[in-house]
Amino acid sequence: MKSEETENIVNEPFTEYGKYSYADYLTWQMDEMVEIIKGKVFKSAAAAPRRIHQKVSLKISNKLFNFLEKRPCEVYAAPFDVRLPVKSKKNEDIFTVVQPDICVVCDKSKLDDLGCLGPPDLIIEILSPGNNRKELKHKYEVYEESGVQEYWVIHPNEQTVLVFTLKNGSFIASKLFTPGDIVNSECIEGFGLDLNYLFNDLD
Amino acid sequence: MKPEEIENKVSEPFTGYGRYSYADYLTWQMDEMVEIIKGKVFKSAAAAPRRIHQEIALKIARKLGDYLDKKTCKIFHAPFDVRLPVKSKKNEDIFTVVQPDICVVCDRNKLDEAGCIGAPDLIIEILSPGNNRKELKQKYEVYEESGVQEYWVIHPSEQTLLIYTLSMGKYFPSKLFTSGDIVSSECIDGFILDLEYVFSDLD
Repeated sequence: MKSEETENIVNEPFTEYGKYSYADYLTWQMDEMVEIIKGKVFKSAAAAPRRIHQKVSLKISNKLFNFLEKRPCEVYAAPFDVRLPVKSKKNEDIFTVVQPDICVVCDKSKLDDLGCLGPPDLIIEILSPGNNRKELKHKYEVYEESGVQEYWVIHPNEQTVLVFTLKNGSFIASKLFTPGDIVNSECIEGFGLDLNYLFNDLD
Repeated sequence: MKPEEIENKVSEPFTGYGRYSYADYLTWQMDEMVEIIKGKVFKSAAAAPRRIHQEIALKIARKLGDYLDKKTCKIFHAPFDVRLPVKSKKNEDIFTVVQPDICVVCDRNKLDEAGCIGAPDLIIEILSPGNNRKELKQKYEVYEESGVQEYWVIHPSEQTLLIYTLSMGKYFPSKLFTSGDIVSSECIDGFILDLEYVFSDLD
């Protein structure tokens, strides 16, 4: 094969079969985003998220960014690879690589050139219309197992926020928060998000 | 005033001021639906709910109806007045009258011609786009206080279900369920709902 031809061979992952690692992931050349959860490949929608999704995301990351200035924690927004190793941190032994909408990492030794290696302290996912099983079943499980302290789930259309807090290795759900509530983080101490601000002026 | 004029005088409630009872409610002649929560009037949207709201409501009501056939418990759907008395059951002493999307009442003594007086066993609310503070703050509080055993909250756009279960007078939230999950009710013993069915084929 000519080198040109080799370059054009794209390693397309097959979502149904096989177990894929971060080492595989690094070789894939694709137009769409994918995540790997416990070795299984999940494709993201080819289109960018809806406008409301991005607006909510930006509002939160902006608040977090301002709050975290001069603090040790850092905030990142998707696309940003978070690797969640189970036993070893070698690329070929990492079977979960996700791209949370927003994450906050307080332990800077987890940060490297490629993103984050190990659980962030706080992860925020903004749901999209339709099926959200990836976020609420698959990611929920790996976030809980890997030790993410807080997992915030946002319904942008119905304007609610639910907070899962890790206690003794299990996520405990909050009630559903709505405009009029201020959601306070336990792990990012002192950070409160006013949902009137968040959900206001989204039209 | 001539009797004709008296008849045309509509008692319009003022949502900002005053404390209203079920006795007041019965005198109001309005085009829109209202609910009274702790004496305060909440107007519902003038337009009917969105199609997806009604489709989901009907699917769940059908499953519940089938399950409850020939059983003691009865299912009702909005518009259906649920009065939640605190001290006395006299009309002028009842300050909370709500219209849940779906409710199940097992104690038939609570049923009369006007609807239900006292807490239903199960209430299901399907959220609408925008602010859902009425459902998640005001109704949540009166359902918890009045002793509704289970309160199910559905986000139709993002296809999730959260179950609040009453234990020792307090609501405890479940995780967020979604398509692929099969949920079961504790208070309606034996009733299970496949969320794949609820959220499929909605387009």
